Amino acid sequence: MKQDRSEALEIAVYAGIILLQSGAEIFRVDETVERITRAYGVESCSSFVLSSGLFTTAGNQQEEYFAKVRHVPLSGARLDKVEAVNELSREIARGQHTPQQALEQLRQIDTMPRRPAPARLAASGLGSACFCLMFGGSLPDAFGSFWAGLLLYLWLMAVEDKKLSKITTTLLGSAAATLACLLLFRLGVGQDLNQMVIGSIVPLLPGLPFTIAIRDIADGDYIAGSVRMLDALLVALCIGGGVVLVYTFYYRLTGGWF
Amino acid sequence: MPLQLAAAFLGTAAFALLFYVPARHYLSCGLTGALGWGCYLALQPALSAPEAAFCAAALTALLSRIFAIREKCPVTAFLISGILPLVPGAGIYWTTYFMLTGQSAEALRRGVETGKIAAAMVLAIVLVFELPQGLFRVFGRRARP
Repeated sequence: MKQDRSEALEIAVYAGIILLQSGAEIFRVDETVERITRAYGVESCSSFVLSSGLFTTAGNQQEEYFAKVRHVPLSGARLDKVEAVNELSREIARGQHTPQQALEQLRQIDTMPRRPAPARLAASGLGSACFCLMFGGSLPDAFGSFWAGLLLYLWLMAVEDKKLSKITTTLLGSAAATLACLLLFRLGVGQDLNQMVIGSIVPLLPGLPFTIAIRDIADGDYIAGSVRMLDALLVALCIGGGVVLVYTFYYRLTGGWF
Repeated sequence: MPLQLAAAFLGTAAFALLFYVPARHYLSCGLTGALGWGCYLALQPALSAPEAAFCAAALTALLSRIFAIREKCPVTAFLISGILPLVPGAGIYWTTYFMLTGQSAEALRRGVETGKIAAAMVLAIVLVFELPQGLFRVFGRRARP
């Protein structure tokens, strides 16, 4: 019986970690941990979730004591994993999986493959081009944005599994996109450099941390929300910083604005 | 305008792919983005940018909740992709640009406006998510027998 309880918590915490890593809100993690432990008959579980860690304990007079603490670094969006874990936890609550099956399923979700690189590159380029058009760029501008956005994503993919800080990644990414736009512009692609750059930096925009921060703060999870909001703010500053970097160099080298 | 709407649809769907939203939701993600951006554009002549962003973000959040119920998927999938057109990326760029070129007054104006837009979006999303879940149940599809 004791074995079963710790196994239930193991599964619940594993599910919580996957959710947290993939960009889920705090209340969803909380709810999922609770739902899974209850489904496996642990009544005394309580958890404390931050955006960078998970603390779970269980135990009272009737049940065995158990605790688990895990640190979870902030990382990118994997909404496919969020949906899969969400679905699985509901199935567990309906009693459709034994603990072993659930653990196996979670391992599968955890190792879900990334989307193929060409598809992601194309999506980044297409997204940049579309956003350039939306913000008032012309078709030639969008063409420039497409290639800059594609190049930017190439950089993001190159550092995806490296331990490079988000600040450096964003700063250099923004600089690379701006530089690409500048070069294309000098080669005669596009009519308005500003619109091209605005489109090409969109893949860096902190849409995910911003949205999650709002939801966490609205749910009363202030600490987690503030961490995410700070993340969003820093990313925004780094995007600006990258643009400044390239433009300043250009100004010093050529002695004039474009 | 139609070109911009089409661009918003395609752009949002493209970013949905980058966020790993499951493929069956691309259509709804694109629709959320396009309608939100359409709302922003339609209101822009009459209202200030933050006011328009407020209405557009509220619409985006509403649509996200409806799609989340209809397609039984966490609301984040639609909200994150749909909100992206409204995130003031252009504001960030112009603030930096004017600061760099020494036009401090213009930089300050843009910076404050960017902050206002972000705040308006926060307000709109918080308000819509305070609405009780029961209101959205009518959009759920009944399980097949």
